[in-house]
Amino acid sequence: MKFSVLAFSLLATTVLTSQAHADKLDDIISSGTLRCAVVLDFPPMGSRDESNNPIGFDVDYCNDLAKALGVTAEIVETPFPERIPALMSGRVDVGVASTSDTLERAKTVGMTVPYFAFEMAVTANEKSGVKSFEDMKGKVVGATAGTYEAIALEQQVKAWGAGEFRPYQTQADVFLALSQGQLDATVSTSTVAQANVKTGKFPGIAVVGKAPFDIDYVALFTNREEYGLINYLNLFINQQVRTGRYAELYGKWVGGEVPSLSVNGVYR
Amino acid sequence: MLNYTFHWNQAFKALPQMLDGALVTLQIALLSMVIGLALALTLTAFRLSGNRILSGFATTWVEIARNTPALFQIYMAHFGLGNFGIHLSPYTALLVGIAFNNAGYLAENFRGALKAIPDTQTRAGRSLGMTPVQAFRLIVLPQMLRIAFLPVTNQMVWAILMTSLGVTVGMNTDLAGITQELNARSFRTFEFFALAAVIYYIIAKLVTLAARLLAARMFRY
Repeated sequence: MKFSVLAFSLLATTVLTSQAHADKLDDIISSGTLRCAVVLDFPPMGSRDESNNPIGFDVDYCNDLAKALGVTAEIVETPFPERIPALMSGRVDVGVASTSDTLERAKTVGMTVPYFAFEMAVTANEKSGVKSFEDMKGKVVGATAGTYEAIALEQQVKAWGAGEFRPYQTQADVFLALSQGQLDATVSTSTVAQANVKTGKFPGIAVVGKAPFDIDYVALFTNREEYGLINYLNLFINQQVRTGRYAELYGKWVGGEVPSLSVNGVYR
Repeated sequence: MLNYTFHWNQAFKALPQMLDGALVTLQIALLSMVIGLALALTLTAFRLSGNRILSGFATTWVEIARNTPALFQIYMAHFGLGNFGIHLSPYTALLVGIAFNNAGYLAENFRGALKAIPDTQTRAGRSLGMTPVQAFRLIVLPQMLRIAFLPVTNQMVWAILMTSLGVTVGMNTDLAGITQELNARSFRTFEFFALAAVIYYIIAKLVTLAARLLAARMFRY
């Protein structure tokens, strides 16, 4: 009698606690859908094709992740400033949105290990006379609000003490302003710069050189306390590199030398 | 469910910066109202002029200003004009956009106010020997401004709130621009946006209150 009561209560506790502790990873698996926040204004990482379907590196990456989890992927378009509200209000599960893993941001969201790395390039209006990063001093420059390069460039403009910095809401607006001559130059990730110059939609601009900013490592992100999911994502990123899928996707969307995702001389 | 821990101390640290932004916001709103009022009076004069071209111009302006989104107007002032090689800075583009919008709405306010003043008053003035200009200036205009005063303050509140659209043309010194930047840096979206909302609310309330006090003094019978 006593034993059966004990056994029953033990069983009850196990059942109850295991249900109460269903974490986000469980939720995704049981719901059958993985909702990814992806920026679709950021080719080649995310954009739309002629029939308006989302395409790009981040879109493929989300689809791979969903396949690994055995669920279907749902791409939720989020402009840069809306990535975090989308996560916090539960509209998305994971951000696959080229998000730079700054310490300041990691106080708010949980970042994985890097899944992609950007180098920064200077793109200039051909009439501006900007031929290198140093030439940008004293000019009107801009970048996409909320991005790593925007934060770095604004600090640089303040440090130079000359010129003007303008943040625009979308990458397309930055290149439009640049093409119109409202901006003299911009700093963006070199992949984005090349992709935009190649479209031919923005005449009169050219990539003129590298920007001496640190390599911009970008991470997947989810809620800070979801260790189970973050663990899974880290392993997933590792497997993507190991299996050669990362290099394959890089070749498909960007091309050229595949950037290394590890930093020498330190563990993460 | 909101899965988020609020850190208000982080947001309050940025309060002085945001208040600086609020000053810029107020400055743009005030300037846009001054320009808007001048333009609206001109448009009203055009409409009353009886000249077909002038009143057609005024009507077109009012129609566009009132029936298209302010976002579109501001965007056009920056990127639209930029296409033709006319480069307005974000500050100027925002100011031009809002002033354009203000002028349209205010002109309609004035028209409504004019309609509320019976024609018989002008005729009475004329029969006392006033010229048409005198009758308009001494009888109609003061009443028109009085009737239109509160709708005008309404537009002022609108102008303040419309300044937040400046972020679409690269504005980064007003309240919305600074809030955006703080958000991008730290991802503490809800704190910064809530704080910005409160500041906008307070500015709007203060403006309404000031207008009421002013009206009570100016328009005593």
